[in-house]
Amino acid sequence: MKNYKGLIYPYIVWIAIMIVVPMLMIFAFAFIQDDGSSVSFTFDNFKRFFSDETFPNVLKRSLGIALSTTLVCILFGYPAAYIMSKAEGKKKSLLVLLMTMPMWINMLVRTYALMGILADNGLLNSILSFLGIPMVQIMYTDSAVMLGMVYDFLPFMVLQIHGSLEKMDKSLLEAAADLGAGKGKTFLKVVLPLSIPGVLSGITLVFLPAVSSYFIPNILGGGGYTLVGNLIQQYSLTTERDFASAISLIMAVIIMLSMALTKKLEKFSGTEGSED
Amino acid sequence: MKKLIEFKNIVKKFDGETVLNGVSIDICENEFVTLLGPSGCGKTTLLRILGGFLEPDGGEVIFDGEEISKIPPYKREINTVFQKYALFPHLNVYDNIAFGLKIKKEPKDIIEQKVNRMLKLVNLEDYGKRKINQLSGGQQQRIAIARALVNEPMVLLLDEPLGALDLKLRKEMQKELKRIQREVGITFVFVTHDQEEALTMSDKIVVMKEGQIQQIGTPIEIYNEPINEYVAKFIGESNIIDGIMKDDYQVYFEDKLFECVDKGFEKNENVDVVIRPEDIDIVPPEAGMLKGTVKSVMFKGIHYEVMVETRAGASITVKMTVSDHKPVYNESAGEKMSANDFYLDISDIDELTKADIIARADAQAWDAKTDDWISISKVEYHLEKKNGTYPVTFHTSSGTQVTVNMIVADESKVENERFDEVIYAVNFFKNIDELKESVALETDLKTWANASAWQLDDDNVNINITSVEYDFDPENITVGTYDVTFKTDGYEYKIETTKEQTEGEKVGLRFDPDDIHIMRKMEG
Amino acid sequence: MKKLLSKLSDLYMILLILFLYIPVIYIIVFAFNDGNSMSQWEGFSLRWFEMVFDNRDMVNSIYTTFFVAIIATLISSILGTIAAIGLSKSRRVLRSAVEQVNNLPVMNPDIVTAMGLLLFFTSLGITKGYGTILLAHIMFCTPYVMLSVTPKLKALDPNLMDAALDLGATPLYALCKVMIPQIKSGIMSGAMIAFAMSFDDFVITDFVKGAGINNISTMVYTMKRKNPSIYALTTVVMLCITVALLIINAAPIIKEKMKKKGENQ
Repeated sequence: MKNYKGLIYPYIVWIAIMIVVPMLMIFAFAFIQDDGSSVSFTFDNFKRFFSDETFPNVLKRSLGIALSTTLVCILFGYPAAYIMSKAEGKKKSLLVLLMTMPMWINMLVRTYALMGILADNGLLNSILSFLGIPMVQIMYTDSAVMLGMVYDFLPFMVLQIHGSLEKMDKSLLEAAADLGAGKGKTFLKVVLPLSIPGVLSGITLVFLPAVSSYFIPNILGGGGYTLVGNLIQQYSLTTERDFASAISLIMAVIIMLSMALTKKLEKFSGTEGSED
Repeated sequence: MKKLIEFKNIVKKFDGETVLNGVSIDICENEFVTLLGPSGCGKTTLLRILGGFLEPDGGEVIFDGEEISKIPPYKREINTVFQKYALFPHLNVYDNIAFGLKIKKEPKDIIEQKVNRMLKLVNLEDYGKRKINQLSGGQQQRIAIARALVNEPMVLLLDEPLGALDLKLRKEMQKELKRIQREVGITFVFVTHDQEEALTMSDKIVVMKEGQIQQIGTPIEIYNEPINEYVAKFIGESNIIDGIMKDDYQVYFEDKLFECVDKGFEKNENVDVVIRPEDIDIVPPEAGMLKGTVKSVMFKGIHYEVMVETRAGASITVKMTVSDHKPVYNESAGEKMSANDFYLDISDIDELTKADIIARADAQAWDAKTDDWISISKVEYHLEKKNGTYPVTFHTSSGTQVTVNMIVADESKVENERFDEVIYAVNFFKNIDELKESVALETDLKTWANASAWQLDDDNVNINITSVEYDFDPENITVGTYDVTFKTDGYEYKIETTKEQTEGEKVGLRFDPDDIHIMRKMEG
Repeated sequence: MKKLLSKLSDLYMILLILFLYIPVIYIIVFAFNDGNSMSQWEGFSLRWFEMVFDNRDMVNSIYTTFFVAIIATLISSILGTIAAIGLSKSRRVLRSAVEQVNNLPVMNPDIVTAMGLLLFFTSLGITKGYGTILLAHIMFCTPYVMLSVTPKLKALDPNLMDAALDLGATPLYALCKVMIPQIKSGIMSGAMIAFAMSFDDFVITDFVKGAGINNISTMVYTMKRKNPSIYALTTVVMLCITVALLIINAAPIIKEKMKKKGENQ
């Protein structure tokens, strides 16, 4: 009990069992073949994934949709976060509350509501036809899936960026003004670069669920619409869990690589300016 | 010298609270001006108004002949060194300094030249590529100065820039700042709460208090001729004595008339007399203008700080009756209990509570085996408002009890009219063991005797009892009656001298007429 | 110019908030739809609310969601606080190792974590049910508690605990009476996050739940024929959460008011 160091040991045992072992099992299932009599190392599951175009195309599509979703979230989320950080007193806390509230409402049900709105005979088209504008067919398209993802994940982005803008030392803005920078220059030269960490953690919170989601494509993309999350989910229900594991690993590796890349970007943006 | 900045009757309020109340200052070219005052005096607010970060609610800010109070900071030829530097963490040292120049779109080679010159000016030539978080506090400070100066402002504002540095570094930076100011030859407006910093660096000091200017002057003027007690105290430790201005050049204090260099006061006006510790010489008693006793000597590195008492304070002597009563032992309950007789003043009776009685009688009960305290559950007494002896009985819940006497007697206080103070204490009874067990005897004696002192005309103003005298050895005390004397401070003078003095020595004090500074009494 | 800009930014925020809230309003309105359709309004009725409370599966899913969220929050708050305290006193190597492992479920998509847990539970032959859901939820909630407690521990004066021990407090007493009160706000916000994470979880629960056991999300997802009852269910839950949030937010204000009242009397 001395110095409370010992308090960590139960948790170490816990994470070893509950986090490390399950992770290792994914590797084991993906790489080890057990045909009842002998156990051997195998790449079969990965070969199968890349054997024809089908699976890589699903992966590409997933990455494409997740990337676009993330970009849209930054594009629409940054101004919102900036406006929120400039708001004062009660208005600010109201905006933060409004941004947080939807996250307390079941995401699946909200997605179903979006489905009801976007349906061919739904709210959106009723309004359009009332206005005399031709109706649209959005359901079961990439756009519907992306819209659903933006809708579900945008608050994460806004709140992350807002957090980093709030943390910013106000005297830095004064210093910029003192050194001759107007509002626009101050934003470009000080606010934007200093809020990059917030944008990056926003990216994590949007890109991760977007690339792996299976209920959004299922609800808004229709039964036949498949992203990599749907693949994993479907194979996990069958006896081909080794294949599901392999797909999980491929996805995890791609995500880790892209995270490492964004980390690099953060470092780069940190020293940016010395080059010009 | 040409006037560069004029504050005219500046008023600033935050949430209805007045922070600046009609401040007017003129600042000249190439001047090193310090705004000095405690936190909350409005000095930083004034600086921020000049920097353009705040707009005054009233008054004008004239800069180089132009009213600027509505001009945004980025259009002013004024730059600021911020309190915690506000260096941009995402830029390296070079880019921090180049920030303002890049905004002005100066050519790259010029920027490089200027930045490097600045780095040289602040003695950090090879630090351009460093990150901000790799710098020490002192280095960050220099970069902040360089970043502001590189824009060639006409005025540099410094908001407590040395506050975050340690003492040694602060001293270094003070010199450095002064050197930089001389070298670049522009106006510095410096905000600090450190009077020493202000005195060593400034050409002009503005002493502020609660949003108003107290005094503006050179360091020497401010130090030698403080305009009132506030400035005198803020500017340095000083001896401030009550006096009466009898006539021009004639001041009366310590029952004597002294020659001084001040005039223009009303006849017989009450004044504060200031004599700086370093202006007083210690001489043999017969040669002194004042005589006194050395109370304490403290070595301060380059000099001794000697306290000389010229006149003793008020004192009162009370009797302490020491007994060796053993505590009552209640064997059936396993409890012990003790209490003392005690004296009471008639005027105390109205406000007397049970807790007071327990405290005065020092009534205690404890478990005989474990020594754990046991609470006293009941106090029984009968008291009348006249002199006499009244029994009081203390009980615990398990039936242990002790009875002692409360002795109501006349007030025992000494009034010292010449000193305008009253000192009070009562006789008391004490058990030998408690005396021996006391870990802070002087404090305990004060508590037991209920000793206190206050001003004669206002009993809310407490005066410290600074000395407790007794002639017994607490380790080997025996049953009997002893005198205990409580004293307040008299007039004490602080003197800085290079000669060591011995405590208790009789000395004389000398000072010249021009060492006596007369100040008007402050209102309130 | 300045005015126009602020008008524009107000408009932008209003549009964005409309975008976020139209589906929410839609849920509430269509909860009262008389028809079976989730997109066609057929008149007002309370039938779906009746159905929510008549349908055993739905009621059970609400119970399960709250039960799992409350238990998982409690356990992960305690576990996470203890672990964070231990971690703050550990050597740097150990600290960074634990932080790395903690980051696995945070930095990996839920579905990867879920896949791992599924393989783990089935390989060990553990029957999927409440137990597996709880274990999984505690697993992914605890790192969030630690993430919000650790900064508070870092901000703590290192001499504080020494002072308590120096004054004769036992380590346990010092922990409960000195350290815990100082980091309480961190524990509370960690618990809030944990509760929200558990309450909203779909993916991991979907992978580790047993047959017939559902939280609200999985119940909605697996429901054969979707009808407005899921809107009614969500409306009821929304109402509960709003009331709870109001109470949590209003409690300190009311307390303050009561105190002021008491002082005035």
